[in-house]
Amino acid sequence: MLLRQFSISSLIFLIVFLIQESVINQLRLPGGGFSLPLLIALTWAALSTPTIGALTGFISGFFMDLSQNSSGAMGHWTLIMILACYAVAYLGFGNDNVRGNPVTNIFLVSSASVITLVVFVITGFLLGVSVGSFTRVLLTLLGNGIWALLVTPLILPIVTRLHKVLFGNQAHI
Amino acid sequence: MRNGGEGRARLLLIILIVTSLFLITLDLRGVKILDGIRGGTQNVLAPFQKAGSTVVSPFRNFLGDVTHLGRTRDQIEKLKADNAKLRSKLLQRKNADGELTQLKSVLNLAGQAGYKVIAARVISQGSSTNFSQTVTIDIGTSSGVRPNMTVLSGEGLVGVVKESYANSALVMLATDPDFKVGVRIAGSQQIGILSGGGSKRASLQLLDNQNIVKVGDVLLARGSTRNRPFVPGIPVGVISAVDSSAGSIAQSATVMLYPNFSALGVVSVVLSAGKNNPGDALVPVGPTPSPVPTVTIYATPSPTASTK
Repeated sequence: MLLRQFSISSLIFLIVFLIQESVINQLRLPGGGFSLPLLIALTWAALSTPTIGALTGFISGFFMDLSQNSSGAMGHWTLIMILACYAVAYLGFGNDNVRGNPVTNIFLVSSASVITLVVFVITGFLLGVSVGSFTRVLLTLLGNGIWALLVTPLILPIVTRLHKVLFGNQAHI
Repeated sequence: MRNGGEGRARLLLIILIVTSLFLITLDLRGVKILDGIRGGTQNVLAPFQKAGSTVVSPFRNFLGDVTHLGRTRDQIEKLKADNAKLRSKLLQRKNADGELTQLKSVLNLAGQAGYKVIAARVISQGSSTNFSQTVTIDIGTSSGVRPNMTVLSGEGLVGVVKESYANSALVMLATDPDFKVGVRIAGSQQIGILSGGGSKRASLQLLDNQNIVKVGDVLLARGSTRNRPFVPGIPVGVISAVDSSAGSIAQSATVMLYPNFSALGVVSVVLSAGKNNPGDALVPVGPTPSPVPTVTIYATPSPTASTK
């Protein structure tokens, strides 16, 4: 991944982070809403190599950590996102079912977002972060899964186009 | 990985993970610099969030309304019910305040004369289709109320108990066409008979034609034998017009009765009169006219204006 690509990706995720903080968080969507950086990072990772996926996770996770709404420790989201994006990229890279089939991609990203949140909750619990009652956590996870299924089809064309412009047909490190 | 090699990729992954773990460790150890980074980010984000909040507020309100549609409806229904309850309470309170004022004035009047009274609430008004002027009060024989007892309000004579039942009584108002009461004029002590006229205006027939009555004279109840049906000294009304026709045998006048019969809320039934006749002690005090201030303006022409 060239420095130029890394810089542009960072800029894109900065903008996404700004949109999340200044627009989406203000909407107070039902079911807890969704995390645009999470969904875009996972979608981005699904189209990339595992290494770029890990870097993408690092950038987006770092921005998510910077949010005042983040309940975890600084670096918590970074760690989770590195692992999540790496895993998604690892599953998606070289698999034509994921890269060529939008439906598979949507389901991969949606399920990955829910699993990421589950891992965040479990590791947060280990790190002493209070995440609320079990029911509340379940409802948030459910709501997030539904939102991911609704939003991912909308962002997929944009992310795919941006990814193609930046990395060409295949991601490189 | 294709171009960079697996080892390089693994190394990068390990560096990234170690970096994040390093950040977590620093944060958990309470290093101030990380709080500063978050605080600084929030400072940068604040204007964006403010602008975003302004822009998305209509959508947010719409979404909020849609999401809480059922809850909002329930809340509206609850607030409506609360509002109705509060209105009812306010009405009751206003009513109670009015009744309290009437009760105070009637007790004041009764206290001045030394009457033994029992307070009653007017619970219904007789239908005007019967051509009689009556009200029903909420006390009866169980409270010692008997027919031919005087009923008064804070302003004066209201009427007389016509019928008495166990827990209610029918009162004939002083405005009833059949109502008659012996009265005397306060001061001159002239006596006459006052008859109800169907309205707040009653007619007075003086028994002696020699004396002269004038507008503004106050009429008081003369009293009856054993104080039934009327106790003495109760204010009845004030003369509003005098009929001065030359050929008439007895002098007559129109009297404006004191009580406001359309707003009777609380009245008192006189159970027994005092030992002494109150005489003219209950004559209501008329309003004292307040002096109108006279403003005099002195204008002095200015010397500069006159020179021009």
